[in-house]
Amino acid sequence: MKTLLTNPAGWKSLITFAILFLAWVSGFSARLFAVIRFESIIHEFDPWFNYRATAYMVQHGFYNFLNWFDERAWYPLGRIVGGTVYPGLMVTSGAIHYVLHALNIPVHIRDICVFLAPIFSGMTAISTYFLTKELWSPGAGLFACCFIAIVPGYISRSVAGSYDNEGIAIFALQFTYYLWVKSIKTGSVFWSVLTALSYFYMVSAWGGYVFIINLIPLHVFLLLIMGRYSYRLFTSYTVFYILGLVLSMQIPFVGFQPIRTSEHMAASGVFALVMAAGAFNYIQTRITKAEFKFIFIFATLVASGIVLMAVIGLTWAGVIAPWSGRFYSLWDTTYAKIHIPIIASVSEHQPTTWFSFFFDLHILVCIFPAGLWYCIQEYNDERLFVVLYALSAVYFAGVMVRLMLTLTPAVCILSGIAFSKIFENYLKEDGPVVSNVTKSVEEKQPVKEKTPSKSSQSSSSGKSKKKPPIIVSSSVSDNSNGEGVGSNIRSIVTISMLLVLMMFVVHCTWVTSNAYSSPSIVLASFSNDGSRQILDDFREAYYWLSQNTDNDARVMSWWDYGYQIAGMANRTTLVDNNTWNNSHIALVGKAMSSTEPKAYEIMTSLDVDYVLVIFGGVIGYSGDDINKFLWMVRIAEGEHPKDIRESDYFTERGEFRIDSQGSPTMLNCLMYKLSYYRFGDLKLDFRTPAGFDRTRNAVIGNQNFDLTYLEEAYTTEHWLVRIYRVKKPDEFNRPRIPVLDRKIRNPGASAVSKKSARKKKGIIQGKPVVVKGKKPKATNTYTNGIK
Amino acid sequence: MISLHLFLVAIFISTTYSVEVNPKIFINNVECLVDLSTQLVKGECRISLENNDDKPVNYVLYAFEPSIKSHVSFVSVHQVFESNRLSLNVKPVIQPGHEDKQFYQIDFNASRPLKSKSRIPLVVEYILTNALYPHPEEITQKDRQLMMFYGNAYFYSPYNSLKSSVKFQTGTRRIEDYTNFNPVSLSSGDIIYGPYGSLEPFAYSQISIHYDNNSPFLKVTKLTRTIELSHWGNVAVTEVIDLIHHGAKLKGSFSRYDYQRETNSGLSSVKSFKMYLPASATSVYYRDVIGNISTSNQRTLLDSVELDIRPRFPLFGGWKTHYTIGYNVPAYEYLFNSGEDYLLKMRLIDHLYDNMIIEDMTVRIILPEGSVDLDLKTNNAIVRLPDDLHFTYLDTIGRPMIQLKMSNVVESHISDFELKYKFPKAFMFHEPLIVIVAIYILFLTVIIWVRLDFSIAKDGHSETRQRISGIMSAIMHHIDRRSSIFSSWDESLNKLKHSKDIGAYNTAVKQIQADYKNESTSINELATKLKTESVELTEKLNEIQKIEKNLKELFGQTQSLYTDKLITGKVGRNQFVDLDNGLKRKKDECQEKINQLLKSLN
Repeated sequence: MKTLLTNPAGWKSLITFAILFLAWVSGFSARLFAVIRFESIIHEFDPWFNYRATAYMVQHGFYNFLNWFDERAWYPLGRIVGGTVYPGLMVTSGAIHYVLHALNIPVHIRDICVFLAPIFSGMTAISTYFLTKELWSPGAGLFACCFIAIVPGYISRSVAGSYDNEGIAIFALQFTYYLWVKSIKTGSVFWSVLTALSYFYMVSAWGGYVFIINLIPLHVFLLLIMGRYSYRLFTSYTVFYILGLVLSMQIPFVGFQPIRTSEHMAASGVFALVMAAGAFNYIQTRITKAEFKFIFIFATLVASGIVLMAVIGLTWAGVIAPWSGRFYSLWDTTYAKIHIPIIASVSEHQPTTWFSFFFDLHILVCIFPAGLWYCIQEYNDERLFVVLYALSAVYFAGVMVRLMLTLTPAVCILSGIAFSKIFENYLKEDGPVVSNVTKSVEEKQPVKEKTPSKSSQSSSSGKSKKKPPIIVSSSVSDNSNGEGVGSNIRSIVTISMLLVLMMFVVHCTWVTSNAYSSPSIVLASFSNDGSRQILDDFREAYYWLSQNTDNDARVMSWWDYGYQIAGMANRTTLVDNNTWNNSHIALVGKAMSSTEPKAYEIMTSLDVDYVLVIFGGVIGYSGDDINKFLWMVRIAEGEHPKDIRESDYFTERGEFRIDSQGSPTMLNCLMYKLSYYRFGDLKLDFRTPAGFDRTRNAVIGNQNFDLTYLEEAYTTEHWLVRIYRVKKPDEFNRPRIPVLDRKIRNPGASAVSKKSARKKKGIIQGKPVVVKGKKPKATNTYTNGIK
Repeated sequence: MISLHLFLVAIFISTTYSVEVNPKIFINNVECLVDLSTQLVKGECRISLENNDDKPVNYVLYAFEPSIKSHVSFVSVHQVFESNRLSLNVKPVIQPGHEDKQFYQIDFNASRPLKSKSRIPLVVEYILTNALYPHPEEITQKDRQLMMFYGNAYFYSPYNSLKSSVKFQTGTRRIEDYTNFNPVSLSSGDIIYGPYGSLEPFAYSQISIHYDNNSPFLKVTKLTRTIELSHWGNVAVTEVIDLIHHGAKLKGSFSRYDYQRETNSGLSSVKSFKMYLPASATSVYYRDVIGNISTSNQRTLLDSVELDIRPRFPLFGGWKTHYTIGYNVPAYEYLFNSGEDYLLKMRLIDHLYDNMIIEDMTVRIILPEGSVDLDLKTNNAIVRLPDDLHFTYLDTIGRPMIQLKMSNVVESHISDFELKYKFPKAFMFHEPLIVIVAIYILFLTVIIWVRLDFSIAKDGHSETRQRISGIMSAIMHHIDRRSSIFSSWDESLNKLKHSKDIGAYNTAVKQIQADYKNESTSINELATKLKTESVELTEKLNEIQKIEKNLKELFGQTQSLYTDKLITGKVGRNQFVDLDNGLKRKKDECQEKINQLLKSLN
């Protein structure tokens, strides 16, 4: 105790460092389930494109990457990758790869890509610590850091192998917010420039940068209305906005959007407001206070009205692009379903259920309103920011499952504050309580220890002078609170809180291990004796494509598999996960939902060589193409309402069935035929009849059909992926001539001699031939019987 | 580079070296056995040679027909001598006037030439690759694979032969057709041409055999084998393999249903094959560009590790695949040294699958950084490419890399190479030192960064803060000492309570008092210094000092209680205990207050 007293700063930094380091390590290792269970592999769909692009950049250099025209995607349109991609992710891993190889460390780019998200999650944890420290206290920061390191809502997007923009973007988001809060507090140009740079990184990494460029102006706007204008605010926002604007326009994909689209208009409006406020502030020195207050509020309202009108006017005039469909779907959850089925067809764009809030955040979702309340109660400039952050993120997370990701950091910060507050109250330096609680408290104790000591030592830790009085007063009030509570209650509360935290850790590990650690291109099943079987059908099929088809073969599949085909099979695809061209996708959807001859017309017009479908009927895989089929029909109907009608694919009673009751259109469409070709013969086990589909638990309706325009090229071991070759016109449209009627046009001299030579041979070998001819006749029934 | 040139020149000489056919040598009897049951054509000819010349002969020639010249992959000759196998040296030569044929010169041992008028039995073994042609070239999934072999009914030789016969083993009873060239006989898949009487040199009569061959027709089109040696005790072997099924091509569709349900479907396809690694091989991996291939098994046998390699998909005719196999073996089994001289002795190529064909092969041997004087010895005809440098973990000057090329390789080519080199032992510390220096520099930079002030502007505030914290830490140190003085006082009081030895106590207290005075004066000195820096802290310090004084008074009271009352017995037991406890409580309170204040000071 005495050494701790004499040199607490050393201990404090040691413990802080240790906790941050452990948070990083545990966050990193929690994300490795998939690598340990399966292998170091890129997961799912989008990461495959990112990986392919990264590999291209590493191979060909950055400038060639920016100029890359990918002719293997969106056949025959192609895709200008450099201009349609957020390059931050590729540049980050490319830079890591470059540095490592410059040091002669030959790490494969795939491994860098696989482990990038876990490494960045550690950096997210640390920037969350700094952000929370700025907002509240280092203790709360450590809590928040530990939460974000393992919270499932963030792990879901950052497990090893999930090589996606979000993996690094959340770090950029948190870091930008930290720098923003820092610059708001100090008002220094240095911090605002850093904020702009960090914002630039965020823009280069993820489309979610729009969230920042709306949230920060909103914060500034709120401060303005609350009359909290200051030179610090003025400096930090103006520097940030101008630099951020110029920098963000350097990303080819973003281009002129920041000054041309509605999503970015709020920022420039607020910029104008801040300027106006600055002017008013100058006027303030000239006139009396009471006068000014009235003028200020009035003028603020008028100015914001003018800005709004200007934006609307420019939008109407066409200078500013109106809001995109994806943006509308944030306000109206049914918008996408009606107008853009392709957005609605993605499961992660569905509205969030209550269940998934708890699943992804566990106890934090219950406790974070408390933190929010504390922030509102003891508000200041930067706490208002986190309040806005949390409120907006809660709304967006409610609209779309995938935006749960932006809510998670806010929830972690606020829960960290709430927990820190609780422990501050109930773990006050009180000998008996500390000694009563078990060792695990010891770890927490320093956290608590720090909070009070921190507040009075403000001078030595280089904090602004504004904060200490608030905290000192709060800690005084805490003391009075704490003293009012009996030691029994204290220990009960402390222990129950610790239990809750422990359950949180258990839940996080369980969710990560069970829900978020499947690469989804390798499936695992467990047999009765507990041994694990790996179903590697996807890679089997993609590798077959890459090895045994022409290099320029074109593969038609539903868009979900576009990136995987390009990444693993290295073949040209018609549509992929970058769903920018709805009509092209609709065309593929139409081909899949038409009959074979009609689909053949579409396929020949698109130069399709192979068709790939996913079929889960043999192993009971539910994410197959038949289950996605209605979306194909819907999207096709959107573009070709004359040819495709969704109602045709339902039975009269409005059911979607594939058995004999199913609608004839359904039973004869291309997707049905490709999925169930020869499946009618297959008997899976003794209990079920032949042609029993395990996914839909039904015997298929149309069993014995043949394909005219396509032929089976490859089917994987568990029938999960089926690839068909589209026949060339000369391969099927010849009329069949009976053997006897066949005439050979011009046999030629050589052919004659060959024939005669063969005949001679036949004569010489006359005996065995005769014997052969007799034998089967005599033993025909017998051999059949054996067989 | 010079050694490379010499090597190339040596190859050049050996291939162009021309020899004469000695007409006085003839073949007494020859029996050839040609095995056609796999994708290779394996011939074994037992030749009885007779020298009719007057002088002993040092060498004889063996010839291959022009049609199979390009297929010859491997030739070896041995002589059975007193029931011992005695390998003979074989090298390719060129015969003027017979450039279309392929000749091999068989050298007898210098000590045992073929004497005049004597006979010698020789066994020639050869392997032909790509000598079987699928016929028809394309088959459907349910068809059987038929192969066509074009060969010679006679034994082909530059010498006259008196008696010869050739037997072709097809390993199957399903023979579609064979050339009827008398005398010929067929028995259970073996086709025997001969025996023939006297034959002229280069007697040739083409025959063809059309038969059923569903054995795996797998060919490695390109193999890159990397052997990376580490002196820390490990040899890492990596093999990158391009594999193709070069049998009859699959025509039409592949039906998974038929393949799974019907036994005679896809007979010629290859589902899996076995590969044998050295017995000490560990951490084996089998993967391709898109990840681990999970469909494989490993079994450790007594003398080898057996890998059951299953490509991602069954290989039908014309289908290709590409994969990588890697494993580690301990270096002590292959690396020998004396002092700074090292010898690496291991297989240049290893088993990939039974009856393998490797069309084109590159072997790269990577030695530890700092190895010099490389000297390579191999048995096979190889082309050595220019040496290169390889950079990997912590390398600064690069590791020497030897690159070798071979083509048309079969299993019989498997043999050891010997690579001698020198490695200075001091180089072992090269890489650890780099790590140590790097970490040292890192720490040094951190120390410099933290300790030194790099700010451009002078920060008066922080300087004051630092001064204050300096003074404060000095004060803290003294306060710490003082509190330890108090505790020792407490102790001696306790001792007094029990022993009632006033003399000893007084001496102890004298020392304590003196120490206390020292500490107090130094604290006061520091306090005056602090006054100029921070008023707030001085106030707090003064408060501490005040309580401190109280505490000292309490100690004084305790002392007087003990010395005046307890020892003299002026006070009753109960009363004493009450008084004592009261004082103790007060002391604790003071102590507590001081602690509180100290904490707030920090």
